[in-house]
Amino acid sequence: MNKSYIDPVYLDYAQKYLGRFMPINRDELLDLLQYCQLRAFDKRKIIVHEGEVDNYLNLVVKGLIRKYLPVRKDEVILQLATEGHVVQSEISFLTRSPSMVVLQTLEPTILVSLTYDKMEEALDKFPKGERLGRMILQGMFIKKDENRYNRLLKSTRERFFEYIEHHPHMLQRVPQKYLASYLQIKPETFSRLKALMSKQTK
Amino acid sequence: MLEPVRQFINRHIELTDDEFKTLASKLHLVNFDRKTKLVNIGDVATNVYFVLKGITRRYFYRGRQEIITHLIKEGGLMGSVVSFLTGEPSRYVLETIEPVTAYSISKKDLEELFDADKKWEKFGRKIITAFFLQVEYHNINMIRYSTRERFINFMKENPDLVLRVPQKYLASYLEIQPETFSRLKHLMVKEK
Repeated sequence: MNKSYIDPVYLDYAQKYLGRFMPINRDELLDLLQYCQLRAFDKRKIIVHEGEVDNYLNLVVKGLIRKYLPVRKDEVILQLATEGHVVQSEISFLTRSPSMVVLQTLEPTILVSLTYDKMEEALDKFPKGERLGRMILQGMFIKKDENRYNRLLKSTRERFFEYIEHHPHMLQRVPQKYLASYLQIKPETFSRLKALMSKQTK
Repeated sequence: MLEPVRQFINRHIELTDDEFKTLASKLHLVNFDRKTKLVNIGDVATNVYFVLKGITRRYFYRGRQEIITHLIKEGGLMGSVVSFLTGEPSRYVLETIEPVTAYSISKKDLEELFDADKKWEKFGRKIITAFFLQVEYHNINMIRYSTRERFINFMKENPDLVLRVPQKYLASYLEIQPETFSRLKHLMVKEK
């Protein structure tokens, strides 16, 4: 990415994301972004196909991406990534193997992306590169563990209400069937819980 | 005794003999009886372990039910990893199923290594990456495969665990109802 001008909105998302893992000042941020590139996609574009090696880590700075696993006739959604979130096929990217998952935009989307080669370069050249890489992986690991724990511990109802509480905007932004799939709730149950919720808030 | 550790590490990163010696100096050989709780819910985990012998389970409570999330055997890394990384109280119990012999390393020693040299940071990154991938594979497999397929895959890949771990623990780990697990096991024996 060109140091001369980077949209401040994108800078902000990048700073917020990286800042979760370690203190990063403006200069360091601009330095890191040199390794990245900006990519723009129309909506409903598949950016990683099943069987393709995913060569990018992506931070969404505008738009929405769904990551799903094709299972028999179904598409099970693993992630709905909005602004400020990273999304990729981690297994494919890290092991350099064909992706089992599909990444598709649901809206026109802009990404700050990092290729595998540039990541290796940044890990090597950026002074705190390895530490940042380790902290990011740690963060991802912790998040995954937490998700699994919540899925096993909480009831369908609890998970539904908790999700809606933390992501109220998603009901408007994403088709209901996708939310149901992501929360691993049957569509009929999702509708029922949604109706319950409307009743409760009246 | 250190050979399995060396082999495990070599799969992820190359260490020179001197570097490995440095790491080895931070490892402590430990032994636990069976049914020992290494970490209880609410404890802050300060060690992670490389298992040389024995099996451990990691679980939490849903009401009075024990939900098993991990089974770790020889060659595996065990610990209440999130607690270890964050310093927050563990949500899990880490308990041995068999007597366990393992190498432990403390958080303090690991952090000293990370601070000392970039190579150790890379080492840390590679190990946590391996952990992460394990979790991700597990999540995907849970969704991708039917109950029956999960059962068969697990039996194929871990024939020894079937003999060493109580059925109810295996069923819990695979997220299969105990009755279904029994039925599948019968089916499998029949097919042989």
